[in-house]
Amino acid sequence: MDSEAEKLFTLVKERYGDRISPDELEEVRKAVERIVESSQDLRELELGNGDEPFNVFKPYRREGE
Amino acid sequence: MNPVYTPLRELSMGVRSGEVSPVELAEAFLERLETHGPTLNAVVTLTKERAMKQAKRAEEEIKEGKMRGPLHGVPWGGKDLLATAGIPTTWGAAPFRDQVFEGDATVVARLDEAGAVLAAKLAMIELAGGMGYRQPNASFTGPCATPWSPRHWSGGSSSGSGAAVAAGLVPFAVGSETWGSILSPANNCGVAGLRPTYGRVSRHGAMALSWTLDKLGPLCLTADDCGIVLEAIAGHDPRDMSTSKRLYRYVLKRDGLRVAVPKGVTDGAAEPVRRGFDDAMRVVEGFAEVEEIEFPEFPYGAVTRTILNAEAAAAFDEFTERGLAQGLTAPECRYGPYAKTAVLAVDYLKALRLRERMARIAEDVMTGYDAVAAPSRATTVPRIDEEFRKSTPGTAKDVMGALGNGAGLPAISVPSGFDGEGLPTGIQFMGRAYGENRVLSVAVEYQSRTGWHEVHPERFTP
Repeated sequence: MDSEAEKLFTLVKERYGDRISPDELEEVRKAVERIVESSQDLRELELGNGDEPFNVFKPYRREGE
Repeated sequence: MNPVYTPLRELSMGVRSGEVSPVELAEAFLERLETHGPTLNAVVTLTKERAMKQAKRAEEEIKEGKMRGPLHGVPWGGKDLLATAGIPTTWGAAPFRDQVFEGDATVVARLDEAGAVLAAKLAMIELAGGMGYRQPNASFTGPCATPWSPRHWSGGSSSGSGAAVAAGLVPFAVGSETWGSILSPANNCGVAGLRPTYGRVSRHGAMALSWTLDKLGPLCLTADDCGIVLEAIAGHDPRDMSTSKRLYRYVLKRDGLRVAVPKGVTDGAAEPVRRGFDDAMRVVEGFAEVEEIEFPEFPYGAVTRTILNAEAAAAFDEFTERGLAQGLTAPECRYGPYAKTAVLAVDYLKALRLRERMARIAEDVMTGYDAVAAPSRATTVPRIDEEFRKSTPGTAKDVMGALGNGAGLPAISVPSGFDGEGLPTGIQFMGRAYGENRVLSVAVEYQSRTGWHEVHPERFTP
């Protein structure tokens, strides 16, 4: 297991490990591995400092005030 | 007139002319929902009282000459993640089976305004599949069957929306898609399912799985019906900040259609799917200019999956912390949410940043085309009693789903034939952002030259 995945799995296990069986925990481990693989795919691409997240935050002000 | 399996324009003409009344329609479809709904596990709640009240009102209005539009007096079913005042909204999940909201979701209110009659809340995969289901039995109402075979799955997560339309239990339904949840049941049930552009339809009052990926859209007998329903439900809503202020009117483009096919789009697809797609494209070539395109290498799946995992973990954070996942039906959904908490914030933000690049790629590659065509699903319809990976193994990457949902693009799935087991296959047409009319134009033209949408499962045909 990738060391990053191992550490993240340890964290998940620490938080929720008491709720699930050893078999389920093994499935969680695999799922964490897949999540880390996806993250690593993303990290292979470079972005510039000005490349913003593609979502829009609109500051809120009540209408008429 | 027999209203079952009658497309909306025809149904509306029948209502307008008095050939069939809204009350008769409501009674007929309520009876079908009651009789056939349980055999498919397609229905969660029959909204009989509300339906009859709405139908009587519609009848009075129409008698007075106040026809609101093509949906006036027409029954419909809503995926059970749309809030309905005073009626349970279960999200398909046992822990929420008694949940009741005070108000209606915007989409429900819009259909009310259009005079449509809510007949049922329809079954869905628990929490819209956000906990990582791997088999059809992932809903507290049981696995939903495609009306084409009791041994095969309806698709999901808008399971009941697809099955109810295909079995003629409602003339149309509304479902939701985060990644595949409208196109999959449309494919498996052999109906038309339209995933609108992100922000086209308000999600206010709909269960949130992923705030930047969730879309609501219609499942209907035909592509033309989808356009009619979309016009009724689309539009800006101040209670959903993602909604666009662009007006939507359903208008078809008749000439000069151009369709692109991504290189290698059937690589890894099941043989009947590949064959069905090739046949369908021969029909498309009869009315549109068809060209091959290529989407560049890009981690489409990783971007969309990372966004979905992070947002689903956040949306169900309290649910997860309180241990409520233990009450879900599918064993894998009971521990599914825990792993999702492992997505790092910086990776989520990177995915959101890469999403812009992905959207630009889509726009660059798709400019000049009305639609990009692909099989709706790479696999044949899965069995109802087995894990997906066992009943429909496959290696195909869902680039169209990852790109389309990640970039918020519209797509429609329409039936394209049947496999060797008599189960439906589908073709999808995906468009540029806000290009619903273009994908509808291609799909409507395709359906004018094929008869797959006019074939219905025998055991539900009256």
